[in-house]
Amino acid sequence: MNRVKELKDRKAVKQLIIKALILGSGNIGTDLALRMRNDQRFEVVGLVGRRPESEGLLKAEERGIPIFSEGASQALAGEIAFNVVFDATSATNHIEHWNLISDRKCLVIDLTPSQLGRPMVPILIGRHDKFALTGQELTQKNFSMITCGGQSAAALIYAMQKGSNRILEVEISSSIASRSAGLATRRNIDNYIMATESLASSISGTRKSKAILVLNPTDPPVMMRTTVTVNAIGMKVDVANQMLSEMEEAMQDFVPGYRIVVPIFSENENIYSATAIVEGAGFYLPKFAGNLDVINAAAVETAGRLFESHFGAFLE
Amino acid sequence: MRLPAACLNLILVLFLNKKFYDVTLRDGNHALRHQLTLDFLVKYCRLARKSSSYAVEVGHGNGLGASSYLIGKSRLTDEEMLRAARANLGDKLLGVHAIPGLATIERDLKPAIDLGVDLVRVATHATEASLAETHLEFLVKKNVIAHGVLMMSHMNSVDGLVRQARLMVDFGASAIVLMDSAGNFRPDDVTERVVALRETIGVEVGFHAHNNFGLAIANASSAEKAGATLLDGAAMGLGAGSGNAQLEALVAVSNAGDEDLKMDPFYDLSDLTALECAGSLPKVTSTSLRSGMAGAFSGFAPHVQRLSDELGVPVEVLWNEIGRRRIVAGQESILREIALDLMNL
Repeated sequence: MNRVKELKDRKAVKQLIIKALILGSGNIGTDLALRMRNDQRFEVVGLVGRRPESEGLLKAEERGIPIFSEGASQALAGEIAFNVVFDATSATNHIEHWNLISDRKCLVIDLTPSQLGRPMVPILIGRHDKFALTGQELTQKNFSMITCGGQSAAALIYAMQKGSNRILEVEISSSIASRSAGLATRRNIDNYIMATESLASSISGTRKSKAILVLNPTDPPVMMRTTVTVNAIGMKVDVANQMLSEMEEAMQDFVPGYRIVVPIFSENENIYSATAIVEGAGFYLPKFAGNLDVINAAAVETAGRLFESHFGAFLE
Repeated sequence: MRLPAACLNLILVLFLNKKFYDVTLRDGNHALRHQLTLDFLVKYCRLARKSSSYAVEVGHGNGLGASSYLIGKSRLTDEEMLRAARANLGDKLLGVHAIPGLATIERDLKPAIDLGVDLVRVATHATEASLAETHLEFLVKKNVIAHGVLMMSHMNSVDGLVRQARLMVDFGASAIVLMDSAGNFRPDDVTERVVALRETIGVEVGFHAHNNFGLAIANASSAEKAGATLLDGAAMGLGAGSGNAQLEALVAVSNAGDEDLKMDPFYDLSDLTALECAGSLPKVTSTSLRSGMAGAFSGFAPHVQRLSDELGVPVEVLWNEIGRRRIVAGQESILREIALDLMNL
């Protein structure tokens, strides 16, 4: 059963529509706006950019989404009512924005690599202790989406962890199309690596983690591809693979283009590896930009899950 | 003992304006499947300090921070290699290779500099120079010699290479090295690219050959004639695939007729490498020719061989598919998928 669909059909959720404000009218922000426009749980109350002539703002306006071109600080200080802010600007800007809204009763989903908020992987909510959303009063309301590599690797790491006694070492290598990596991603490649490694550690329980990112310029562009390799004790490959196919299905509920292309196999004694690819849903971004798709899908899913369990906490 | 080597180095740099960059202990680590031993490293460095090479590069085949399941685990850590090299190289410059995406500033570059690295070559795929921005800017601030490297340079046009090289120069690179990582170039290709860079970028140009077609010395020589002043070589050609330009041969060819030329240290390095790495010396083989023709990264060779043995897919079929799909270095994990796809056809 498709959980998103199920949710959309629920009257309760229909009545309480989540007002979403999106900061940043680049690829990520614009894709988010168009994505949520198709999702009955949300009402996009604004896409905020800095240049009125930017392609993202024009596109959003064309689709009837309210746009603001005076920058995020202005929009946050203004009259717009919102329950959730998606920040798709930059790590430094996010810190500024957070200072403006930390007192307000709203949810914050951070898509920048600022690492300010609590790392969240929606696929692990209700599965892994570190990603539990328990308690009616949420102490944190700023959630970080970490990185695309982290979101796409989480299912693989989790399945391998469940299938083994202990993971001693974990490695995530992702390759993405050059055209899907903007200048900010390139400048922040070290942040990408550190944030991904820290997520891998927190899922697998080992401090020994390594992340690798490779850009491939081939035309037509390559799909995003993520390989996880672990050094693990007591791996039961069939158990791990059964868990992995459950995880694949759960991921596909909100990232339809997520596919396991190489299931878990033993490379060497105690060394196990598996690979997933992500084809984008193509809301605003091209289909090869699975890396951007997976992080946006995770952001919307996280917001949806949080409102499902803690709606009251984010009503002003 | 230190002085003569240092003097000779200075003479080379100032008057001949030509530098031999010794990559034996880095690219050679590919041929050794990253299993370089401390013993060989120390012996090599002690001899290399007497040679007239400009710098000695040390590390995992893919440079700092590259030891991984994906590419190959290194026997020695970066720290072990750099510490030993620094202790045994005397005044000789110690260099490292660093690929953004593998090597980070905090985890890899900072400790390397603290361990006494003099020169860092920040390397990206031939079309992705913008990835080098933060790394190069950091090195410039740290007053470390910073070079930019464009790997797999056959995968970009001449104009494209010039644009990418310019970016790296803007970020602070004081030299640009073109790597023919697939050993795909002919001498004329090298001449055209080196001339284009010499005319436009205003910094030193280097060339790093691979010997897939048996053309490494010819290509490096062409680069020198076209104005490249940084010439990469490895003792006995020890390097990925069918190896690099053989350092001792390159020095001899480049300095033919020079009566003061001190070849002995290079002969010693050659003999040491021939002895210590006897089972791993690169050759031009049907595999290296196939990968060269396909324009595929030489470093894939052991992975391709292993998959072919395991899954029974012929090596030439694998190489052609890797070339067709334009797979780049660092995508080692896709090789298995390609092999599986080919089996299902």
